[in-house]
Amino acid sequence: MRTHILLILLSSFLSPVILSAQGTFTISGFVKDGSTGETLIGANVYVKETMKGSSTNTYGYFVLNVGSGSQTIAMSFIGYEEFTQVIDVSADMKLNIEARPKVIQAKEFEVVGDRTKDNTEGTQMGTVELDVQRLNTLPALLGEVDILKTIQFLPGVKSNGEGNSGFYVRGGGPDQNLILLDDAVVYNASHLFGFFSVFNADAVKNIELIKGGMPANYGGRISSVLDITMKEGNDKGFHGQGGIGLISSRLTLEGPIVKDKGSFIVSGRRTYIDVLTKPFISDTSAFSGSGYYFYDLNAKANYRISDRDRVYLSGYFGRDVFDFSGSDPGDPQFRIPWGNATLSARWNHIFGPKLFMNTTATFSDYSFSFNAEQDQFAFELFSGIKDYSLKSDLTHYLSARHSLKYGGQYTYHSYTTSTVNVSSGDTDFNIDTPPKLYAHETALYVMDDFDLTDQLRINAGLRLTTFNHVGPYTRYLTDDQARTIDKEEIADGKNISGYAALEPRLSMRYRMDGRSSIKASFNRGQQYVHLASFSSVALPTDVWIPSSENVKPQIGTQYAIGYFRDLKDRMFETSVEAYYKDFQNLIEYAEGAEPQNNGNANYDAQLVFGDGYSYGAELFLKKVTGKVNGWVGYTWSKTMRTFPDINQGREFPSRWDRRHDLSVVLSYDRSERWSFGATFVYATGQAVTLPVNRYFIEGELVSEYTERNGYRMVPYHRLDLAATLNNKRTKEKKDPVTGTITTVNKRWKSSWTFGIYNVYNRANPYFIYFGAEGNPAAGDLRVTANQVSLFTILPSVTWNFKF
Amino acid sequence: MKKQLLPYLVAVLTLIACEKEITVDLPRTDPKIVVEGTIETGRPPLVLLTRTQNYFDPTSIESIAGSYISDAVVTIYDGNNTITLDRICSSSIPDDQLEAVAAAVGIDVNLLRQANICAWTKLDNTLLGQEGRTYRLDVQAEGNTLTSTTTIPGAVALDSLWFKLAQNNPGDDTLGFLWGTLSDPDTIGNAYRWFAQRINRDADGVPKDSRFLAPSFSAFEDRYVNGLTFDFSYNRGSEPFGGDDPEAGYYKVGDTVVVKFASMGTAEYRFYNSFANNVATQGDVFSNPANVRSNIEGGLGIWAGLGVRLDTVICVP
Repeated sequence: MRTHILLILLSSFLSPVILSAQGTFTISGFVKDGSTGETLIGANVYVKETMKGSSTNTYGYFVLNVGSGSQTIAMSFIGYEEFTQVIDVSADMKLNIEARPKVIQAKEFEVVGDRTKDNTEGTQMGTVELDVQRLNTLPALLGEVDILKTIQFLPGVKSNGEGNSGFYVRGGGPDQNLILLDDAVVYNASHLFGFFSVFNADAVKNIELIKGGMPANYGGRISSVLDITMKEGNDKGFHGQGGIGLISSRLTLEGPIVKDKGSFIVSGRRTYIDVLTKPFISDTSAFSGSGYYFYDLNAKANYRISDRDRVYLSGYFGRDVFDFSGSDPGDPQFRIPWGNATLSARWNHIFGPKLFMNTTATFSDYSFSFNAEQDQFAFELFSGIKDYSLKSDLTHYLSARHSLKYGGQYTYHSYTTSTVNVSSGDTDFNIDTPPKLYAHETALYVMDDFDLTDQLRINAGLRLTTFNHVGPYTRYLTDDQARTIDKEEIADGKNISGYAALEPRLSMRYRMDGRSSIKASFNRGQQYVHLASFSSVALPTDVWIPSSENVKPQIGTQYAIGYFRDLKDRMFETSVEAYYKDFQNLIEYAEGAEPQNNGNANYDAQLVFGDGYSYGAELFLKKVTGKVNGWVGYTWSKTMRTFPDINQGREFPSRWDRRHDLSVVLSYDRSERWSFGATFVYATGQAVTLPVNRYFIEGELVSEYTERNGYRMVPYHRLDLAATLNNKRTKEKKDPVTGTITTVNKRWKSSWTFGIYNVYNRANPYFIYFGAEGNPAAGDLRVTANQVSLFTILPSVTWNFKF
Repeated sequence: MKKQLLPYLVAVLTLIACEKEITVDLPRTDPKIVVEGTIETGRPPLVLLTRTQNYFDPTSIESIAGSYISDAVVTIYDGNNTITLDRICSSSIPDDQLEAVAAAVGIDVNLLRQANICAWTKLDNTLLGQEGRTYRLDVQAEGNTLTSTTTIPGAVALDSLWFKLAQNNPGDDTLGFLWGTLSDPDTIGNAYRWFAQRINRDADGVPKDSRFLAPSFSAFEDRYVNGLTFDFSYNRGSEPFGGDDPEAGYYKVGDTVVVKFASMGTAEYRFYNSFANNVATQGDVFSNPANVRSNIEGGLGIWAGLGVRLDTVICVP
C-alpha cells in the first residue's frame, strides 16, 4: 500500500520537473583545494543574484542550472576564501574552481561538526558530516584520535561502554551500521577489545553519518550509514604528515603522480605497546611471551584521464595480533590474528554536464582466527567474509529544483561462519571443514530529490533488493537432542533460500522561513547479514552470519520528525528530532551457546530470533562560528527486545538501552598558537545481566540469572581535556635585493597535543562480576559484587608534524 | 580438555584496570528447589535437596545450612518398582562416622557437624545402579513436585592411564598431570566425566583427598571425537574453597590416584558443562551469562545416571 503511494508520487512529480528544465543552461565542474588539489565535498556553489545553487558531491562535482545573461557565480566553503566570478552565460559551460584556503588560522577552526550543509535547507535528517582535521584538537584516549569515538558524541549515537569504539544508532545493533570506506564495506571497524577503531584519521578526508532518513542509494543495513572518504593525495607537490603518540606512531606521504592530473597518498599506523612493555615483563612473569599490536595501512591513487574521466584506486589493510602465553600450570598459549582489507577501484565519468556517473568495484575481506595450544592440544577457530561487489550510480541534474539518482549494485558474498579445529598430538579430531556460505545480493534504486515549492522539498526513493543463498552447501541433520547425526550436500549453484524486498524511502522538508524548517522521514530497509556476538566487547568470537533458510533478513522501519532552526545569523544551529524504530528478525546466541559448539553443526544451530523497537527524542544545539564552538547533544530513548527463547519470552532492555545520554563537545581557539578542547559525556548505566540467586552444586557456588539485562550499572560520566600548541607557522624572510622583510609560511609545521582523559578520575563501570572467597563450611564465606573500571585519569601527549 | 580463554583475557585487562567492591540491589524472588542426585553403576542413589538463596543472603553456617531441605519424600521408579528412598540426617550419625559420610555425600564435615543436613539414599542395597537401566526420580517437598529421568549408559573404560611430568617450571621433576587414552564408540552421543582421588597420605598421615574430585570442565562429549582413539589430560581438581596448596592443579611423583571415569547421556553432559561455565564466569563481559541447564522438571539441578569404571595409577615419571 505504502509503496503504491510512493510510486504515484514519483511519477507525478517527474513530468513537470522535466518541463521546467527547459530554457536554462548548466554550469558544471569540480571544486578543489587550490593548494593540495583535494576535491572538496559539500562546497556550496550558487548564483549570487538569486542565492540559488547546489553543493558538490562526494567527488567534488557540481551542476548549476542558470538562466542566460550575466551571472555572479559564487562558491563558499568553511575554511576557504569565498570565490566569485561573473560569467556571461549563453551556453552550457564548465567551471573548475580552485578554492584558496583562508590564511587566518582562527577561521580554519570554525566548525567541529556539520561542515557546510545548511541545517534547515536539505531534506536530510539526522545527518552529520565531520571535519577530520578538527578532531585533532579534541581530547582522545591515550592521544589516539578516533573518528568513531567522536561520532559517539552525537545525539542518537551511543557507545558500548568504556573505551569502546563500537557505536549504536537509535537502538540499532552494531551490525546495522553500514560502514563504507571509499564505497567498500568494512565489516569490523574496531581493533581488538574495541578500544580503537580501524580508521587512521590522517588518511581520511570526510565522514558522513546518516542515522535517519537513509536515502535510497544506500542499503544493506537498517540503522545507519557511515560513509568515509579517504584523502586523494596532493597533486601539486610532495608533502607528508605524521605523529608520534604514546601508543602508536603515524606517517602519511602524498604527492603528485603527474602534476595536476593524478596523485597518491600512503598512510600507515602501528601501535607499539608490545615493544614498550616487553623490557618490563620478566621471563618468569605470568605474562612473558605476551604481546599485542595492530597496524593500519591506507593507500589511494587517482588519475584524471580526461576532463570527463577520473579513476581512483584505494585500499585499506589492517591487522591485530594478540599473543598470550602464561606460565602457570595448564596455562594455554594463544594467538589471535584478525583484520580487514578493502580494495576499491572507481571510475567517475561525466556523460554530459547534467549526467554524472560513478562506477565502483570493491573487494572486502574480514577474517579472524584464534589459535590456542596447551600441551599437545591445539585448538583453532576461524571465521571470515569475502565480498566482491560492483556498483554504478548515476546522478541526473535535471534542473535547479530537481535531481534524479539511480543505480544498481551486485555483490557476491562468501562467508566462513565459524571453523573449529582441534588436535591432540597426532590425532586430528574429526571436525568437518564447515561449509562456506555463498550468496548473491543485488540492489536497484531510484531516488528523486526535488523542490515541489520553495517551501517543500521532497526526497523520495525506492530500492529493490534481493538475496540468494546458493550451493554448494552442507546441511547437517540432527536428532531430537540436537546432536548432529548426518549431513546432506547441496549442489553448486542450487538456490537454497531467496529473499526480495521493496524498500521505500521518503524524506521531506517544509521551510517555514529562512531560519527554520520541519522535516519528516520514513524509511524501511532489509538487511541480509547479522552479527552474532558471544560477549559485549569486540572479541574474535563475534561471527557474521548471512540470511538463509532459518535466519530471516532483519527488517528495520523508521519514522522520524524534526524541527530545525538557525539562530543568530547561523551562529547557532538547533534541532529537535523524534523517532520510532521497529526491528524484526534480530538474532542472538541462545543462552549457554558456546563458540566451540559451532563445529559439526549448522551455523544457525545456536541462534535464537526475536524483535525489538526503539523510540526517542534528540536535542542538538551547535555553535558553528566564533572562537568558541562545539555542541551539546541530549538524547532520551528507550530500546527493548523480545525473544521467545530469552528471558522466558518477556521483553527486556537491549544492551545499549540508555534512558539519558548527554554529550558536550567544546573547542576554544585562544590564539594562532593555542587551542583547547573539552568533551563531557553522561549516560544512564548500561543494562547488564547479574545473578540474583545462588545455590551450591558439588560445593561450588552456582549463580542463577532471572532477568536478562535486568540490572543497571551506575551512570557513566567523564570529562576529557586537551590543549594543542602549534609551533610557529610563519617565518620572516628578507628579500636579498630589496631588503624588505616579508612573512612566509614555514614548510615544516608541527604541534603538540596534550590531553587528559577522565579528568576527575571517575571509576566508570566496565563490568561487574560476582566473587566468592572463604569457606562456607568454616562460616567465613564472603560473596561480593565487584566493579571493574578500565581507565583512570590518563594523561597523554602527541607530537604531530606536517611538511 | 577444554580451553578457557576468558580468565586470561580478564587477567590481561586487569593490568590496566582497577576494581572496587560495590553494593548491588538485587530483586528478591521465591526460592526454587535444587536437586543434586546421582546414581552410579553398582551404587545406591544419593539425593541432596536445597533451596536457592538470594545472592547476598547471609553466608553464615546457619544460613547455608538453612538452605538444605530436610523434609521431603523422594522416590525412584526403576522400570519395575517404585522405591521410596531413606532419609539420613547428620544429627543422627555418630561423630566418628561423620568423616566417612562427608566423603560419601561431598559435604564438608564441619557443616555436617554443626547443622542437621539430610540426604536421601537406599541403605539396604536393594537399589543399586545398573547400566542400561532408566531411573525416574520424584521429589515431593514444600508443596512442590519435581521429576526427572536418567539412564545409566554402558560405561566406556579408558584404554590406558599414565602420569607425565608437566615441566612447567625449570628443574621441576616432581609435578605433573594424569593422561588417558580413550577409544570413543562409533555412535554419536557419548559423554564423559573425569574424577580423581589421591588415596596416599600426606606428611601428617591424612589422606590427600577425602573424596573423588572433578577438575573444572571435567565433562566432555564426543562431538569432535566420535569413534576416535585419542590422548587427553586433566589437571587435578581441588576442594571448592580449599586453601593454599603448593601442589594445586598437579599430581606429585609418588601419589597413588584412583580415577573414576564416568559415561553419561547428553542432557547430563549439558548440565555439567554449563555448570562449569557458570562457576567460571560470574558476570564478566566476555561471556554470555547463562543458567545451568538442568534436567529437573519443576526445579533446578541434576539427576544423573553415571556408568562408572575405576582405575588406579601410581605417579612415576
